[in-house]
Amino acid sequence: MDTKTLDPLPMHGPDLGLHPDDAELVEAEPETKQEVLENKDVIVQRVHIDGLGRTKEDLLGYEIADVFMAKNLIDVMKKSHEAREKLLRLGIFRKVEVVIDTAEGEDALPNGLDVTFEVTELRRLTGSYNTMVGNNEGSMVLGVKLPNIFGRAEKLTFQFSYGTKETSYGLSFFKPQLGHFDRNICVNLYKVTGQFPWSSLRETDRGIATEFNFPIWKTNHTLKWEGVWRELGCLARTASFAVREESGHSLKSSLSHAMVIDTRNSAILPRRGALFRINQELAGYTGGDASFLKEDFEIQLNRRLFWDSVLSASLWGGMILPVGDKPASIADRFYLGGPTSIRGFSMYSIGPQSEGDYLGGEAYWAGGLHLYTPLPFRPGRGGFGDLFRTHFFLNAGNLCNLNYGEGPRAHLQKLAEYIRWSYGAGIVLRLGNIARLELNYCIPMGVQIGDRICDGVQFGAGIRFL
Amino acid sequence: MSLAAEAFVSQIAAAEPWPENAALFQPLKGEEVTILLPTLQAYLRMCNLPVQVCCRANAEHMSPSGKVPFIHVGNQVVSELGPIVQFTKAKGHSLSDGLDDVQRAEMKAYMELVNNMLLTAELYIQWCDEATAAQITRPRYSSPYPWPLNHILAYQKQWEVRRKMSAIGWAGKSLEQVYEDVSQCCQALSQRLGTQQYFFNKQPTELDALVFGHLFTILTTQLTSDELSDKIKSYSNLLSFCRRIEHNYFQEHERPGLDPLSIRPSLM
Repeated sequence: MDTKTLDPLPMHGPDLGLHPDDAELVEAEPETKQEVLENKDVIVQRVHIDGLGRTKEDLLGYEIADVFMAKNLIDVMKKSHEAREKLLRLGIFRKVEVVIDTAEGEDALPNGLDVTFEVTELRRLTGSYNTMVGNNEGSMVLGVKLPNIFGRAEKLTFQFSYGTKETSYGLSFFKPQLGHFDRNICVNLYKVTGQFPWSSLRETDRGIATEFNFPIWKTNHTLKWEGVWRELGCLARTASFAVREESGHSLKSSLSHAMVIDTRNSAILPRRGALFRINQELAGYTGGDASFLKEDFEIQLNRRLFWDSVLSASLWGGMILPVGDKPASIADRFYLGGPTSIRGFSMYSIGPQSEGDYLGGEAYWAGGLHLYTPLPFRPGRGGFGDLFRTHFFLNAGNLCNLNYGEGPRAHLQKLAEYIRWSYGAGIVLRLGNIARLELNYCIPMGVQIGDRICDGVQFGAGIRFL
Repeated sequence: MSLAAEAFVSQIAAAEPWPENAALFQPLKGEEVTILLPTLQAYLRMCNLPVQVCCRANAEHMSPSGKVPFIHVGNQVVSELGPIVQFTKAKGHSLSDGLDDVQRAEMKAYMELVNNMLLTAELYIQWCDEATAAQITRPRYSSPYPWPLNHILAYQKQWEVRRKMSAIGWAGKSLEQVYEDVSQCCQALSQRLGTQQYFFNKQPTELDALVFGHLFTILTTQLTSDELSDKIKSYSNLLSFCRRIEHNYFQEHERPGLDPLSIRPSLM
């Protein structure tokens, strides 16, 4: 075996320097040469990356190392394509092109190949400016992004939103580990404000979050520490006293861990695959005054049926256990209901409430069964019509507070009585790979006193649907 | 409150009688010096209206106007002396019904004097005098919160109060000037009180509750120096006025659940 092909680390072998005159454009190889190379073993002698500016070379070595392992031309093409994908995934190049040519130079072997990646780096600074208009509120949003600031695929983004009612901002720094892009660290600094009319609550969060993502076998894990200064207030003078009692400042310092296994082909309207996500959060042991243990999980299964239709089943659940004698804050509890969870009910309007303000609950479960079919008579097939699906659904769930003195049996019983459920049909529109819009006709059932329903036509927009 | 809001509140208030479970919310004991607490307690006792006193760390944020203490009656939440007086009036309890128009105008004038002078002076001494702020006020204010929130909130509050002081022109005053202003205010009150039992003869009014509240706070709050309480003690009729109210309204009745002012050092 030639020692050169056994050299995995590109530190000594290939020449990663700039070769400004080396850019040989791909030309159609003469037919005879191609035929010869296809059957022959080849050795990749050099891999160049042209067009580097601020990117450091050691970062790229890991991404292109596999190309050296290729044994014949088809393999070289496949591995180069994979390396190209990896380079693009780093998020630091606008364009990556691959050129494969025969080796040149003094030490060129007769079956040697040179692979050149021609890259165009992203600009150092990109900015965006939008204006947004919402419910009686207008705001100006300024975004600034610095990709690859230190040369090793680090990314810094800053977003600032200045509105007539609220101001919010966020600064985020992302750094992947050299050679393992899936392992990365992300640090966020943010201030966000939210208004929740279903609880007559206004919340302002200022916080820092540090998260560390890493894959283990087929699962993705995230470890996160978050410190948030939360300020709660009443949205209106007519807020109920239970919500008024929650006003004030608190500090939450929590450690959390999340595990995700996602084999779906897409996050929006998947056709096959499954998702399993479980998240736990422990607050109070690293400072702050919010103290609880929170668990929640999400399961989704999708299966393709006859005639291009998809059957999808999902289950969500969660529980929060306050540690110590203070009850969980309204900002940490779970909420249920609305066009993105149990359809047919108003937004987050299920469960414990006081004078019309929904207080959330300490435990919940929700399940959905969906059948997605193409539109009847398939209008616009092959084009626009493919973005729409008809959708038949059955949703059920419950949200309640638990008395932790009783045992788990009592808890299950409590979650099983007074189940709210609904069924109906509608149309779903897929927006790119990011969001989905739904227009449904819903019939809510099992409605308890205090729940607010939205029977009839309901519109929903969002990213995560039950 | 706007006129419409006031009318709304009094309509709603007039509908129901004073409930048994009315509650007065104040910050945690020792957390903040609640200037108006003795005022409100005195006023409600003078009207013979029972309240339970509840201590909450976030009372200041629960209050609709940001001022403590506030009362929660039925499903109404009312803060500050003026709105509370109107609220109780709408329910049929009033202390100033017996006054004629001239006296009522005079009462309003003196209440304004007390608010402008004594209240501002107390805020100044607590937050703008660096020694008091560092030793007493800030540690007290930040005590219910964890680090680092305690420092952030204490400094934020101090900055707010200082900003308010400079808006009304008190920022340039020195501590001695403030003491002098308080002394002058007490002199005016002392002259008005004269040898009477209460400011308007035999019956106490909200002015009596207000003056009592402020004087009691100054006399019993621990500050870095006793100069201010000494100044007040030099006006003997004010001192005996305070003692009288404390004796009549805070030591006679021993209703369970009420917070006797005797947790604080008594004037006796």
